[in-house]
Amino acid sequence: MNDGRLMLFAREWWPVVSLGLALVLIVAVVGQLGGDQTRVTLTEMLIRMVVVIATYLFIGNSGILSFGHVGFMCIGAYAAGWATCNPAWKQLMLTGLPVFLREEEYPFLLAVAGGGALAAVVALIVGFAIMRLSGIAASIATFALLAIVNSVYSNWDSVTAGTSSIIGIPQVVGPWEALAFVLLSMVVAFVFQKSRYGLMLKASRDDEVAAKASAVDIVKVRLIAFVASAFLVGMGGALYGHFLGVLTVDIFYMGLTFITLSMLVVGGIGSLFGAVVGVLAVTLVVEVLRAFEAGITIGGSKIALPQGAQEIGLGVIMVLILLFRPAGLTRSREVPWPFVRRGAKPAGDAAEQAQPAE
Amino acid sequence: MIGFLQNLIDALSLGSLYALAGLGIGLLFGILRLTNFAHGDFITFGAYALIVPSVDVMATKFIGGWPWFLMLPVVAALVVVLALLSDLLVFRKLRQASAPTLMIASFALGYIIQNTILMVYGARPKAIDMWSNLQQQVTIGELRVPQLQLVTIGVTVLLMVGLSLFLGRTAYGVQMRAAAEDFRMARYLGIRANFVIGLAFAISGVLAAMTALLFVSQTGTLSHMMGVPLMLFAFIATVIGGMGSLVGAVVGGFAVGFVSVMLQAYLPEDLRSFRDAFVFTVVIVVLLFRPAGLIRAKALVQRV
Amino acid sequence: MLEIDNIHVNYGRLQALRGVSITVAEGEVVCLVGPNGAGKSTTLAAIAGGVTPHTGSIKLQGRGLVGMPPEAISRLGVSLVPEGRHVFATLTVAENLRIGSFQRRDRGGAAADFERILGHFPRLRERLQQPAGQLSGGEQQMLVIGRALMTRPRLVMVDEPSLGLAPMIVDQVYDILLSLRRSDGLTLLINEQSSKRVLKFADRIYVLRGGRIQLHDRASNLQDGKAIMEAYFGFGEQPTPATGPAALGGVAE
Repeated sequence: MNDGRLMLFAREWWPVVSLGLALVLIVAVVGQLGGDQTRVTLTEMLIRMVVVIATYLFIGNSGILSFGHVGFMCIGAYAAGWATCNPAWKQLMLTGLPVFLREEEYPFLLAVAGGGALAAVVALIVGFAIMRLSGIAASIATFALLAIVNSVYSNWDSVTAGTSSIIGIPQVVGPWEALAFVLLSMVVAFVFQKSRYGLMLKASRDDEVAAKASAVDIVKVRLIAFVASAFLVGMGGALYGHFLGVLTVDIFYMGLTFITLSMLVVGGIGSLFGAVVGVLAVTLVVEVLRAFEAGITIGGSKIALPQGAQEIGLGVIMVLILLFRPAGLTRSREVPWPFVRRGAKPAGDAAEQAQPAE
Repeated sequence: MIGFLQNLIDALSLGSLYALAGLGIGLLFGILRLTNFAHGDFITFGAYALIVPSVDVMATKFIGGWPWFLMLPVVAALVVVLALLSDLLVFRKLRQASAPTLMIASFALGYIIQNTILMVYGARPKAIDMWSNLQQQVTIGELRVPQLQLVTIGVTVLLMVGLSLFLGRTAYGVQMRAAAEDFRMARYLGIRANFVIGLAFAISGVLAAMTALLFVSQTGTLSHMMGVPLMLFAFIATVIGGMGSLVGAVVGGFAVGFVSVMLQAYLPEDLRSFRDAFVFTVVIVVLLFRPAGLIRAKALVQRV
Repeated sequence: MLEIDNIHVNYGRLQALRGVSITVAEGEVVCLVGPNGAGKSTTLAAIAGGVTPHTGSIKLQGRGLVGMPPEAISRLGVSLVPEGRHVFATLTVAENLRIGSFQRRDRGGAAADFERILGHFPRLRERLQQPAGQLSGGEQQMLVIGRALMTRPRLVMVDEPSLGLAPMIVDQVYDILLSLRRSDGLTLLINEQSSKRVLKFADRIYVLRGGRIQLHDRASNLQDGKAIMEAYFGFGEQPTPATGPAALGGVAE
């Protein structure tokens, strides 16, 4: 009996566990073998993975495309930066900050949690209006949200140093710290998608009328996902700040939005597996393109792509994926259970098998 | 009072730009259910078509130097080609795709166009002198208004009337309206899908080109991201006005222009740089009360 | 004139048509009868190009239609009036009618047809400049038939003309269809739920159920209605597994 229940448990959690193990392996191997530059790339990739997984939590389940998550990243990053940055510098440069931030220095984890919390609060307030809108209007509204955050943060000089930078943020985030948060967000996303809120949200994604008829409060369920997603993204932003050591507003705008969205789309917009695979795949492609931009010597001649080839290349890949593999590399499926099952199939499996391939 | 009238003209002028951009977007949305996030980049393309490809800060005008009756059609033609290529290469194969897929596709397309312009022309914004003589002011009664604003309003009205006549009186226009309302039924009646769609893209391209010229005249600068705020405001305009309605796009555009200018004029000094944030907030508040927009569009709600 | 041979149409994993074969001779009135979900609308949609059968052929006077876009099929003289009327509500009555004629090359012929059709439907003439959305159900039905006729079709397919209309109006609609068949030499293929009506108007009748033809005969042979009822409701037939919910993938009954 224990064996059966253990198997069921393993089977249920397999999508997360498998990904988690794979990532631990990757970080261990690459962290050991690679040099400093590789570790930097690895950390950045993992931080982006937190953001992409968090974005997937909302988009994948609700079916509503959001362009605003990088705005939450900005909010979380700055909030955490305010908390851990040197008070002496803050009192000089960021005179608009409230006293409890300006004159104190807070521990890293508290700052990260605070960043996530602030992002979540903003998401709650804004989401209240946005989640009532139809899918398309909601997506446009999230785009506006990104622009608002960018505009406000660029202009609120006394608090964000405006268009110049906040410096001196302790750089405490390396691959393992980032990985810890990746694992955390994977668990949160997975728990959510299996919870009743996740199910209700997916129902509303697939058929809004039927879901409403089944007494699903669509606005509430969407809002929950939106806030949870923003919390994780905010933490991702906080991590980013503590990785870069420096914060400027313009890194949190179109470029980052495009790259994170493309990671999700390339991997598969409808599954956790897709989010993870997408980040890995796109990072790989971008690194290759970046190397080509710098110039590669093949044979005796140097081949170099012009500056900007990275972005254009990524854009083209996005379009190709949308044309030929719109469900992404993973076809929006979770990691498949590799073992062949013997004997009678328990009730849960039949329901799983009956799901139409997306 | 004079100040208010002055602001009103400002609002009409700005609103015209947003209305034009909104029309370009609304047209494609009405027929294809396509939210074209690349429209802003069509506009940017039209603007950069005026100058010689180079990374200098001082832009050398090429087509921009031609007399207006040559320049207008040529720039329009170039943007139309871009729009039609976009349809051919990207959107044609996505006819049956879901709305989110189309959104991401247009976002990616816009990103590609933006970065190509960046690659060719460099990242530094350029100064360009387009019709700067129109900056001269004209005196109407007690008002002093830059000619350019009047030209902007005039051109916009002209384009809207033209579009209206086209849609209302010509055979192609009727076909487009029918396709916008019920694409499948239109096809059953013999209307060629790809032709009507191509027409919509072409008109959208013309509108983008005109928006670009007016915008560049007003601001005097070119930057590879110049289309983004226009696109954003245009989308906001269509959402406020009511998606799927051309009249809504125009009303929304003027509404957003009005709110923007009034905020600029009457906000306290230190809050003025947050004007855009306020505009968006007003928009969100409006949407709280009228999620479907100010002008009810037809049958976009799923009928049970 | 029209030959449908063994077509299969799927919507995703749902098999809507499983080997349907129908013929329609020139000048005939053929009716498809059957319950909801039998595949009648799918059959008409397949002919008109709205859905594509993955096997089988559809030939119009020897010319294969499968794979052609709907607008091309329309130009060959096939006109579909889909279920639910589908007027262009924001266009005027006149514009609705004219839509059908844009693909035609004969301007004069189109203008003449316009007058002639208004002659058949005088109520439409009164409302020429009104938005079509303001018309009553019966008027809209007249409008969409008139609109279909403006394409100068040879084959007119009407999907459930009686749906949502008062019986008296439906009678009028059928009368007009039949008189047009005489005057314009039309061929008619009509979907109907009511077998009574079908027995009155059709030359030949096909009964569809579960995506298959269950019965096919001349209307004159089916006048007692018994055979039709049996085929319609499937009396005395074992439900095949393929028609049941299991085909949809495992939802337990």
